[in-house]
Amino acid sequence: MKQKSNIVAKILGGLSILIYFFLWAPVIVIIVFSFSSNKYGTSWDGFTLKWYGELFNNVAVKDALIRSLTVASITVIVSTIIGTITGYGLYKLHFRGKQFLRTSILLPIVFPSVVTGAALLVFFTRFIQIPLGYPSIIIAHIVFSTPLAVFVILGRMQRFDWSWEEAAMDLGATRFRTFLRVIGPIMLPAIAASAMLIFPWSFDDFVVTYFVAGIGSTTLPIYVFSQLRFGATPVINTIGTLFVVLTMAALALMYFVQKKNEKI
Amino acid sequence: MTDSKNDNEDKRGTICLDIKDVVKQFPDVTAVDHVSVQITEGEIFSLLGPSGCGKSTLLRLVAGLESLDQGRISIAGQLVNDLPPYKRDCSTVFQNHALFPHMSVADNIGFGLVERKMPKREIRKKVSDKVDLVNLAGLESRYPDQLSGGQKQRVALARSLVLEPTVLLLDEPLAALDRKLRKEMQVELKRIQREVGTTFLNVTHDQKEALSLSDRIGVMRNGKLLQIGTPNQIYETPRTKFIARFMGATNIFPGRVVSEIGGKIELEIKNGSKVFAPLPENIASHSVIGFSVHPELIDIVTDKEKKLRTDPQKETVFPGRIKEMIYQGDYSELTISLDHFDLNLSTFITRGSEYDTQDIRENQDVVVFWDSDDNNILLAD
Repeated sequence: MKQKSNIVAKILGGLSILIYFFLWAPVIVIIVFSFSSNKYGTSWDGFTLKWYGELFNNVAVKDALIRSLTVASITVIVSTIIGTITGYGLYKLHFRGKQFLRTSILLPIVFPSVVTGAALLVFFTRFIQIPLGYPSIIIAHIVFSTPLAVFVILGRMQRFDWSWEEAAMDLGATRFRTFLRVIGPIMLPAIAASAMLIFPWSFDDFVVTYFVAGIGSTTLPIYVFSQLRFGATPVINTIGTLFVVLTMAALALMYFVQKKNEKI
Repeated sequence: MTDSKNDNEDKRGTICLDIKDVVKQFPDVTAVDHVSVQITEGEIFSLLGPSGCGKSTLLRLVAGLESLDQGRISIAGQLVNDLPPYKRDCSTVFQNHALFPHMSVADNIGFGLVERKMPKREIRKKVSDKVDLVNLAGLESRYPDQLSGGQKQRVALARSLVLEPTVLLLDEPLAALDRKLRKEMQVELKRIQREVGTTFLNVTHDQKEALSLSDRIGVMRNGKLLQIGTPNQIYETPRTKFIARFMGATNIFPGRVVSEIGGKIELEIKNGSKVFAPLPENIASHSVIGFSVHPELIDIVTDKEKKLRTDPQKETVFPGRIKEMIYQGDYSELTISLDHFDLNLSTFITRGSEYDTQDIRENQDVVVFWDSDDNNILLAD
């Protein structure tokens, strides 16, 4: 009996290792080869930083990076603000159809990106004249990012002691001052966490952006995709490393903020 | 005995909280049902009742945290019906304290003063005054999660008192504390109230707390205010069965009035015997439905002959048998079944009382008796 459970444990352990191997190996390979002097980026020929030099001298890459960062930053700010207010409203206010709104706000998260992207493109070009480029990309990103913020904020609201709000108003603070001095600060960790979640979500997006970007508005993921017809070059490896580092940084930051959040 | 209302009329000072015919309807229940009460400057008034009786809702109506459906609420002569909480001259101490977790003790206490745009120096001075008042010196820079329950309670109290409200509203302020601390804070609360002289409107479900803390008590049930009076009046002369039971007068005899002679009424109770009870001036004898007697007023003798021939106008006497005796240390609880009567009487004997030497046991025949003037008449709910 003991023997048997030992075997099961070993198989499960092996499987786990395999899963983590496939999860991490490609990432590690990309990071390692981004420092390899081999010009096909496929084997180790000694350490170099020249690909990073090439990366930062490449105007197209720089353009795409700036565009991606701009889009992600604006998306983070706008989505977090809208998401916080929406979350507050969906939790606090009582109105007809609230349940429907609460559920449907999650649609963009479960919808296939291809459908969202195509639908937005048609909508932007045929129904309302939104120029393709920054405006269309940013609106699209806000559309699929805001639900994340709403989700995080609603979760925090559920653990919120609403007598704080009553106490503040009882002590002489108006609704607005109460939000400013009590609700806002107490929710700040949750607001920050949703921002950290949205950043990589927006920064990494390829599918929706590909549909609504139009001509000449290349974000970093689209640039990488366009470079793939030349094969996996070392510069692609460095961009990959850049993605990994930025995303991990955002996740790490979110982890710490969440921890602080739990304390309150 | 005079009616509690008249009695209070006499010594009434300035009315600082006037609740008039207030009604609050929730979808499935009338939480506050035509309640009127006037609270005088400087008194501690407790709303007492079981959970769900509407006492907290009434407090929240005064605070402005709920809106009322009918009636008028005035604080210091100003009608506040339509004022938001932040414009009312009252402040609430919440049951769970509701301290702001992201602010220090000093910032919590100063919160309301900042909203009143008071200069910083003045705020610092007022906060430190109140910190001293509630004995929190040295803890100003702590955060709420570093405080004990009693300390949180003090911060919540100081945070409200610093605003010098006309009425301080306390929503079960001691319920979250353990028993020992509760007693300590009770004394402390009374000391602080006497020191600052602020009117306290306290909500509690704890009879003992209400009795020891309050100048006056209002007993509530199902949204209605049943009786208002001093702690003595509420404890000794509860006017309905519910209040009597709630205040610990567990011995209740339903009865029918048969005659009225000079300030006394004669009641016929279930087993046919006649009992006398004093009739308060302002109560009509036909509205009496029975009487109650507190366990601590009941005496016991084991020598039957001694007692059965007394004057029923002076003493109420029943033969009975000890059904159950529960030892509690300093006293023993007795349940006595009365002869020819399906009624159990509860009382107790203390270690110091003479009966303790008389070897009282279960199943022993005894005679119970008490002063007929102690029979407290009851009215219909």
